Order: sequence, then C-alpha cells, then structure tokens
Amino acid sequence: MPRIVREADLVWEGTVARGSGVVAAATSKAFELPISLASRVGDPEGKTSPEELLAAAHATCFVTSLGSELARAGTPPERLEVRCTITMDEVEGLGHRIVSSAITARGLAPGADATSFAHAAEAADAGCPFSSLIKASATVTIDANLEEGDV
Amino acid sequence: MADRTANVTWIGALLDGGGTIESVGSDAFGPLEVTWASRAEEPDGRTSPEELIAAAHAACFSMALSHELAQAGSPPERLETAATVTFVPGTGITKVALSVRGSVPGMNEAAFVEKAEGAKEGCPVSMALTGVAEITVDAALA
Repeated sequence: MPRIVREADLVWEGTVARGSGVVAAATSKAFELPISLASRVGDPEGKTSPEELLAAAHATCFVTSLGSELARAGTPPERLEVRCTITMDEVEGLGHRIVSSAITARGLAPGADATSFAHAAEAADAGCPFSSLIKASATVTIDANLEEGDV
Repeated sequence: MADRTANVTWIGALLDGGGTIESVGSDAFGPLEVTWASRAEEPDGRTSPEELIAAAHAACFSMALSHELAQAGSPPERLETAATVTFVPGTGITKVALSVRGSVPGMNEAAFVEKAEGAKEGCPVSMALTGVAEITVDAALA
C-alpha cells in the first residue's frame, strides 16, 4: 500500500496566554479555524482545540474501522453513529496530559445481533490506527450498541 | 479538566459509503464529509483522521513552543508551523514531521531550535502519540 500523507498549517501570534492562532487543513482545504489557550482549557466559545480535533480524528477513524468489520462479518451497516470524547487533565508531576478517549457507537446493521456487533466494535478498536496509538498513554473505552428496527 | 467531543455518522459500506463529522462540542466546525477514497487517495476537498491529527499536533506544538519561548523571556511575535502525518494502511501512522518558522525578538537560532525540541517532547498531543515511530521537528528563525 502506498504511503498517505496529510498536512495541516498553523500560524500563531503572540504569547500562549494572550495570543491566538489559526489552524488550517493544508491538504484538503476543508477547514480553517481559530484557536486559543483560553478556549482550549476553559469554555470553548466557538473555537476548536487540539483535543477536539483529536476527538474528530478518533471518531472518524473508528467509524470506518467499525463499518469495515461489520462488512467483513457479512452484516454491512446501513448507518453508524459514533461520538468520541477526549479528556485532557492535569496529571501530578507531568502537567497536562490526554488521559482518555471515550467512544460511544450506535449502529443499524441488518443481520447483526448484539453479540456480533460488540465483537465488530472490539475488532474495530484493535484495527483503528488511532486507537492503537493512544492506548500507549491514555485509556480508550468503547460503548457499542446495536439499534433495533428501521432507519 | 477539559472534555472535547465530536460526533460522526457513517452510511453504507467502507468503499462506496461515506461519513460526516456532524458536529463538535465547540460548534467550531461541521458538518465535514469524509470518505475512504478521500482518506487514502486524492482528498478532493475532504478532510481525514490523519489531517485532523496533523491539525491537532500543529496547534498543540505551537502553543507549547509559545509557552516555552515566553518562559525564556522571548515571547514570539509569530510562529508558522506545519505538521505532516504519514499513514501506511495496514501498518498505521508511521511519522509526524513538524516544521516551524518563528519571529522571536531577542532569541538566536540555536536557542530557538532547543525550545522547539522541548515543545515537541512535552506537548500533550506529542505525549498522546508516543506510539508513533518517528516525530521530527525542523525549526528555524524566520
């Protein structure tokens, strides 16, 4: 498989406490967003942060893995909904650290049952490159539930 | 403690289906479309997990570096950072390359390079990505 390369650009002006930055998707041009320290650690006030971008990355990575695992099991999903919450906390002696990523997944996958859906979610966690990476330093939890009935 | 949340939906199979980053807790962005083809091949205007990780790392590193420079008595006027994430399907994320150019009154290049190395080691996103085999930083004064 070829290497896939993705790039982002950031411009920061001033000190961390009073300055601010703009982060942009350099490869796709899909977004260009203001950031600041105050909105990172306090009230977001409409601004994104590194942790929110990681939450979006992990949710997206996990949802593609889960869809792929369900298809492999012969029960491709009609619809999946994934929420990811990344928590940064102050760890004594270490400063701010990303301590956990919590994934909640709900899906409609005809032919799957609660057990096979749970197995697919476990396999998706094992197969998602981002899950594997952050387990070295943070806790990853997966709460997966199959939806019953029609879309 | 800061919690940050994102919501994503996916409809259909991996290769011919597609997903949407519907919303994030801050409301700063979304909906943003994602597909496997735009992740693995041409982006076609769509973001991907790897690009979002690049954005997170560039932002985290820049804040950490700004902090280190201010601590050293030379707050930056301006930092321009690029983060490039390399993903090999089947293997994972193999590299993050950071590159920074700084306008920092009162600081020489050697000291700036040292601060950039420190920010690379210590920023929370770097710490979360300790599983990446190679994280590099190329730093110079503008």
